[in-house]
Amino acid sequence: MSDFSVVGKPIPMIDAAAKTTGAGKYTDDLSLPGLLIGKILHSPHPHARIRHIDISRALELDGVVAVVTGADAPNPYGILPVGHDEHALALDKVRYVGDNLACVAAEDSRAAERALELIDVDYDILPAYFDPEESMKAERDLIHENKPHNLEKDYHHVFGNPAQGFAQADCTVEGRFIANEVTHAAMEPHSTLATFDLDPVTGNIGRLTVWSSTQVPYYLQHKLSLVLDLPMSQIRVIKPLVGGGFGGKSEVIPLEIIAAIAARKARRPVKITYTREEVCWAHRGRPRTIIDLKTGATSDGRLTAVEARVIQDGGAYCSYGVVTILYSGALLGALYDIANLQYDGYRVLTNKPACGAMRGHGTVNVRFAFESQLDEIAAKLNLDPAEIRRQNLLRPPAITVNGLRVQSYGLPECIEKVVERSGWAERKGRLGKGRGLGLACSHYVSGAANSIIRSDMPHSTVNIKIDRDGGVVVYTGASEIGQGSDTMTSQIAAEVLGCLLSRVKVVAADTDLTPIDIGSYSSRVTFMAGNATLRAAQEVKRQIASAAAQKMGCAPEELIFRDDLVFRRDAQRGVPRLEGEPSGENPSRQRSRGRTHEQANTSQASVAGRVEGQILRGSLQQKRKEDLTPKDFMTFEEAVVAAIDFHGALTGTGSYAPPAAARGGKYKGAGVGPSPAYSYSAQVAEVSVDEETGQVTVHKVWAAHDCGRALNPVAVEGQVIGSVWMGMGQALTEEMIWKDGLLMNPGLLEYRSPSAAESPQVEAIIVESVDPEGPFGAKECSEGALAATIPAISNAIYDAVGIRLHEAPFSPERVLAALRAKKAAKPLNLTEGVDPTRPTRFREHGGALCFKQKGPERHELDASRAR
Amino acid sequence: MTVKPFQLLCPRELSDALATLEKHSGNIRVLAGGTDLLPSMRQRLFEPEYVLDIRQLREIQGIRLTEQGIEIGAFTTLHAIENSDELKRSYPLLVEAAKTVASPVIRNMATIGGNVCLDTRCLWYNQSLSWRKSCGFCIKKDGNICHVAPGGTKCWAAFSADTPPALLCLQAEIEIRNASSSRRVTLEKFYTGEGDNYRRLQPDELVTHIFLPRGSALYGGAYRKLRIRGSIDYPLAAVAVALKRKNGDFEDLRIAITAVNPAPLLVAGVQSLVNRAMTRERMAEEIAELAARTAKPLTTSALTPEYRREIIRVFTKRAVLEAAAD
Repeated sequence: MSDFSVVGKPIPMIDAAAKTTGAGKYTDDLSLPGLLIGKILHSPHPHARIRHIDISRALELDGVVAVVTGADAPNPYGILPVGHDEHALALDKVRYVGDNLACVAAEDSRAAERALELIDVDYDILPAYFDPEESMKAERDLIHENKPHNLEKDYHHVFGNPAQGFAQADCTVEGRFIANEVTHAAMEPHSTLATFDLDPVTGNIGRLTVWSSTQVPYYLQHKLSLVLDLPMSQIRVIKPLVGGGFGGKSEVIPLEIIAAIAARKARRPVKITYTREEVCWAHRGRPRTIIDLKTGATSDGRLTAVEARVIQDGGAYCSYGVVTILYSGALLGALYDIANLQYDGYRVLTNKPACGAMRGHGTVNVRFAFESQLDEIAAKLNLDPAEIRRQNLLRPPAITVNGLRVQSYGLPECIEKVVERSGWAERKGRLGKGRGLGLACSHYVSGAANSIIRSDMPHSTVNIKIDRDGGVVVYTGASEIGQGSDTMTSQIAAEVLGCLLSRVKVVAADTDLTPIDIGSYSSRVTFMAGNATLRAAQEVKRQIASAAAQKMGCAPEELIFRDDLVFRRDAQRGVPRLEGEPSGENPSRQRSRGRTHEQANTSQASVAGRVEGQILRGSLQQKRKEDLTPKDFMTFEEAVVAAIDFHGALTGTGSYAPPAAARGGKYKGAGVGPSPAYSYSAQVAEVSVDEETGQVTVHKVWAAHDCGRALNPVAVEGQVIGSVWMGMGQALTEEMIWKDGLLMNPGLLEYRSPSAAESPQVEAIIVESVDPEGPFGAKECSEGALAATIPAISNAIYDAVGIRLHEAPFSPERVLAALRAKKAAKPLNLTEGVDPTRPTRFREHGGALCFKQKGPERHELDASRAR
Repeated sequence: MTVKPFQLLCPRELSDALATLEKHSGNIRVLAGGTDLLPSMRQRLFEPEYVLDIRQLREIQGIRLTEQGIEIGAFTTLHAIENSDELKRSYPLLVEAAKTVASPVIRNMATIGGNVCLDTRCLWYNQSLSWRKSCGFCIKKDGNICHVAPGGTKCWAAFSADTPPALLCLQAEIEIRNASSSRRVTLEKFYTGEGDNYRRLQPDELVTHIFLPRGSALYGGAYRKLRIRGSIDYPLAAVAVALKRKNGDFEDLRIAITAVNPAPLLVAGVQSLVNRAMTRERMAEEIAELAARTAKPLTTSALTPEYRREIIRVFTKRAVLEAAAD
């Protein structure tokens, strides 16, 4: 089946109009009668024991309804079952500047903020750890008592025989790479509104309803249940529109639980919306990472062995950390054919905001190092960077040395496409002074084959209901966060059922209404929820087909569902023309093309003899009037009515669980990395470098991405362009700047995501390696492309000016430092003493903090000091 | 964070505005475009009881040609300045600098008076109340320490506006008024060089007009601004060059730098290097060296001081050569 009517077409996002006009409702737009505003008190210290919290003065303030502290919800939680190390509000210790201490629920935000100033906290300040390598040496004052040496987790994997592999190498390159910390910078700050039902007679607290900007409503329901000691059935989580997540909303964020605790204590609805600074403290972004990488290759460029030692600065809590450090190792596999692999990964705790999942989870920083080093090897062996990558392609179907199953594999075509489009062969190395091209590849999972909660539960379940209104309602737990999951769901349902896209309504991510889906992360939704939608739609279609087949006097298998019609395979030419349409060879083919919904509706009216929307009343009358001779076709509505007359309302359920064959090996940590399918990317970046200022300009990026079947090409292009753009941010301008654990740039003015002004032209090239297990052959398209952008730019900088940067981002000061070193110019301390071509440690911002000397006391003349 | 409650006063006449300023002197902030004031008020950098909205004061709006040159009302938007034909023709350097401010949306709101009076900036200062609490309040606001120069007593917050270096090169003067009097000072004299008390403006005074002398008209020039992004960003180091030529020689060359000191500064001693017997390239380098030595950047921004000083050198040389090539 290759000719589709809905799938494969560029369809605008079904929720785009509401978002672009401002009519759409995000969590912060919501209100309830009696709503209180919650504000959180954050720790000013990176590491301190709480001696005492006194909330009495805050409670006396007018407008304050409730103040909650750690004691109000002492149960620990965490997104991973192995990492239940967080408390919504600190119990005994604060572990980073910004850690949560207390929350005030008040009539308005001003009262809440004033009350925060009146909460008195006594601390015993503890020594703090900021640098992961220093932190690993800690013997005392541990961040979590049960984690010796502040080591959250370490893994040591050996696949094949690395020693032998290196012995066979003609060329071995090794080096340290550093990628600094980045955060998601989603447009919408986190927001949560929580309310409890109160029993009108007893006044007792009943069910909890939470609206939240989340990628994972079911995990949120689960964690709320743990912390609040409520059965999950007593909690309803609803996800309104979400303004971007990128992983920053893929776990339970403190405010989500705090809002519920505050609502319980206040016995009124409470809404908390983070400031941008609080978003940065909640963080869960990409950890800054040290990668010690060693790669061996034969003289013709075949990789013989890879050894990686990765240290991630995870911040103060586990979050997704164990998964991140495993992805970093696991995704060394499945892009190229590497027979011998050694991986040592260390996830380290420090007194900084917790890192978690971020677009390209775990793979991005290691990919930067790997693809850079691959170019270094190519240079040593005098090989073309495209050639060395071609030398190391997998031959799928394959199982990699670390147990990843690869079936569809569009990487070769991706490489060919970008090489061809960028004019690589003719232009590389010939662009003149200061201008260059760079190539890099990447890949990503289409959903994790193993859920973070080990169980046999399907990862996605979808219900479909069609009733007498002729509407198709799809109930899915999948969370639309701007990536287009609702549109994808509609397209798949409409394609399978052969109905108009406008018939499909998606009810998503409401735990009372929609079946469980584990959430929008690891690029799993199209693959898994898409497959579940496909199966649910097929189940409903079977019911319609059996009824329609009776009416039409044929076997169900003979029926085709398409263009809002059901017709016999052999009767396509007999389908009547619609009024006002020109006659054609095959009207059913032409019908849906270029028709507006209004036209479609009028046409249906003329065919079916009734107006859409009156199906309920019309069907009986229709039935009496109908002559009983079998027909060649029925409209979708007629078929639905026929089926409902046989069965009652039509419902179907479909679910998806990754197959056992895709779930990976048996070693410790083998669960992370396996996926039912991998996406592939190749990119060429064209940059120029100002050799006097170190400023890098990206002129164009050719980005080929293998997403299996592109269900919605315009959405795929959007995701690829967005990935390149976000990757460019990490490559050039985005960096969380730290000074003794204090984030120096907690806002969008100083945390510099690229603006439209420096956006390069991105030529997105879709490569469709139809995957045998994806829905209609689709794989992921939202994350995989990001990881290639950073090394592509790095490699292009090398091509342009001959400097090999080992530290990202390639900020102008780093680039200039490297350029000056290369020219042996007079050294200037441009980079706080860290050589970006040979970095040894993370940089700290200049200046001094003075935590202890002249402490955070206000100037005595300052008005706001007065109590 | 929310803004502390205040009373918004919107006089229609300049005299009323000045009387209001006098009445609430010390407890009132002037709101022009608001693009810097409002974010700062949310960060609790300013907590005035009164805010004086000067948007209705017609007397201080618009660009007027006078016998002495051009008079610009302090409440003239940067958008109006970058689109003024008169300024484009006579004072292109100012137009070029104005165009680099933030982004088009902000320039629609922001005013030249606001840009001249822009508060100095520091990574340790332009932060929320809770952030500043966590590292200790500094000299500029609420405290008595400096994070940038530990142990020091001077505030090093960087003056980070784009148009003042151009205005300095053009020898602009400003009119300052209070309820009872009016004074006119050169822009150079307006800035103190202290990061905290950065301008010579009494609490009851308002900057009302900016004058560009006829003598500076038709100067060629160039403005070079270091920014990480092509939009939005404040300058991290920037240089303005104004040049008058006569028979191919440099008759008058003026250079000013911004964003690397607590005040925008004219680089002294430039004229003495001009037209000496050396190549233009060499001359530009010597001038650049002078500018770099005038710059005293500290760790007030995300980029290192050494880098910002180096960029002053590079940009000065480039701007001089570019102005010379015109």
